[in-house]
Amino acid sequence: MSHLITKKTLEYLAELSRIELKKENEEKLLKDLQKILEYFEELKEVDTEDIEPTRLPSPDGEAVGGQVTGGTIGKNVFREDEPPAALSQRRSALMEAFPEKEKGFLKIPPVFE
Amino acid sequence: MDIRELTIKKFNEGLLNKQFSAFEITQAFFDYIKEKDQEIDAYLHLTKDLALSQAERVDIEVAEGKDLGILAGIPLAIKDNILIEGESATAGSKILANYRAAYDATVIKKLKQAGAIFLGKTNLDEFAMGSSTENSAFKITKNPNDLERVPGGSSGGSAAAVASDMAVAALGSDTGGSIRQPAGFCGVVGLKPTYGAVSRYGLIAMASSLDQIGPIAKTIEDAAILFKEISGKDDLDSTSIDAKYGDELSNPKLEDIKKLKIGIPKEYFIEGLDKRVSSAIDETIKFLKSLKIEFKEISLPHTKYALSCYYIIMPAEVSANLARFDGIRYARTNADHTQTNANDFQRKSASSPRKSALMDIYFETRGRGFGEEAKRRIILGTFVLSSGYYDAYYAKAQKVRRLIKEDFDRAFKEVDVILAPVSPTPAFKIGEKTDDPLAMYLSDIFTIPVNLAGLPGLVIPVKKYKIDSGELPIGFQLIGKPFREADILGIGQYYEKISNF
Repeated sequence: MSHLITKKTLEYLAELSRIELKKENEEKLLKDLQKILEYFEELKEVDTEDIEPTRLPSPDGEAVGGQVTGGTIGKNVFREDEPPAALSQRRSALMEAFPEKEKGFLKIPPVFE
Repeated sequence: MDIRELTIKKFNEGLLNKQFSAFEITQAFFDYIKEKDQEIDAYLHLTKDLALSQAERVDIEVAEGKDLGILAGIPLAIKDNILIEGESATAGSKILANYRAAYDATVIKKLKQAGAIFLGKTNLDEFAMGSSTENSAFKITKNPNDLERVPGGSSGGSAAAVASDMAVAALGSDTGGSIRQPAGFCGVVGLKPTYGAVSRYGLIAMASSLDQIGPIAKTIEDAAILFKEISGKDDLDSTSIDAKYGDELSNPKLEDIKKLKIGIPKEYFIEGLDKRVSSAIDETIKFLKSLKIEFKEISLPHTKYALSCYYIIMPAEVSANLARFDGIRYARTNADHTQTNANDFQRKSASSPRKSALMDIYFETRGRGFGEEAKRRIILGTFVLSSGYYDAYYAKAQKVRRLIKEDFDRAFKEVDVILAPVSPTPAFKIGEKTDDPLAMYLSDIFTIPVNLAGLPGLVIPVKKYKIDSGELPIGFQLIGKPFREADILGIGQYYEKISNF
């Protein structure tokens, strides 16, 4: 297949994924990925001409539009545009869960030069 | 009272008859876990303070003669990718080693309201990615039936905890078989609900179009009771649905059950299916036929492509879901996984090939914090979504997914329920498949199609085979129509009553 992965592609993907790869693991990872992608070749046998991507219907049988909805129901769900009460009460718990804070602010490492 | 004998039903009777207190039983579980978990390693953390205070509250309510639900005081184990406020939730990953949940998952909130007690958080493959629990960053859980074998995964800790009586029941999550396969390997009951039946709010997401939380229990009735409690529409999960489950879940009518027609998909009985598995399934079919339940051979022609389809869609969703673990939020760790502070970060970006200090934080934290399988899936997912490959992989897989779903739709016009194996083999040995990811992936070929189609699946233990080092359980899987958990639980309870497993 023309799409099989090369070392260069792997390094580019790691860059996109924001993952630093260890040099010693790179070769095994590349081999594993190639083997997995080779396995995917079988999908070429399946005729998907004129097949719409997946949508799952709700219990009332309703299934609406959307491109590739990834198997979830292609249906919009609306609510009033108000802050959910539960979340605003959670402010201190959410602050607590953050690694570092100072004077009521969340503290993060320096990210600019 | 021997805590190892407890089911939800038995506990409830004993509690209301004042045979024991919730506190006593909870304490007894912790004593037993302290000893037993040394060999099983099912739990990552115990939530003892929370459990004992929950138990005290239940005992007060019993004394006051309050009307208590059936789950009041029931000691449960919770998979460590489900959030309990104030407790740690690692998802089996070093990247969350220091994280404490800021809120309760909706399932936890519901169970707290029902008075259930949480003993602790159970081990799992990192971010629920795996079929053996060997991908946990913290420990390897052993199969209680044979300590040299894996408990299955990714909910291996929850299944092993229930199978070794270290909890009355448990919650797991199932993306491609992660409740059902470990339930089958450990010899307990596991239910993966219909997609949307249970809120995913507070479940650390792996693949959002496939994930569902579900129960692992000793009996089908217990699984039904737990499922009923956690199911329902939740405003905090827009994919959840109010399916209006009724009393038929835990009290099925036998005359209705007998009318259900069961389909046997020929594509699931392939070469390579372990003889012990196929003979256990044959015996089950014979047994159900003797009860005058009608069977029909059916065909699910796209079954063969489910594994490829899944291993494109799932990693694509993984690559998006795991982007949030950036080393800034949740937990911030050093190389030795202790907390690191903002001021400790070195501004080395001037000498770094990357463009900013922020990039350095991302690459280092994620490179160090994620295990091999998580990295493999993030990179694979990034690949199938990347421009130039999207149509060949991701879009193609979503079309094949539809064909798989339509196979089931057609089959369910002829039958009500489908009976199939859970996995091609019984529990394998620890270390047997860790070097070969594809071999590991293949252990989920019979459970994956169910997630792709969003259907409910129930695993029921049927048999134990003697092997040199112990006994190995084998289960079978019942697949139901969407939101018809009542059908598979009904047949299951019927089977359970008559076969007395």
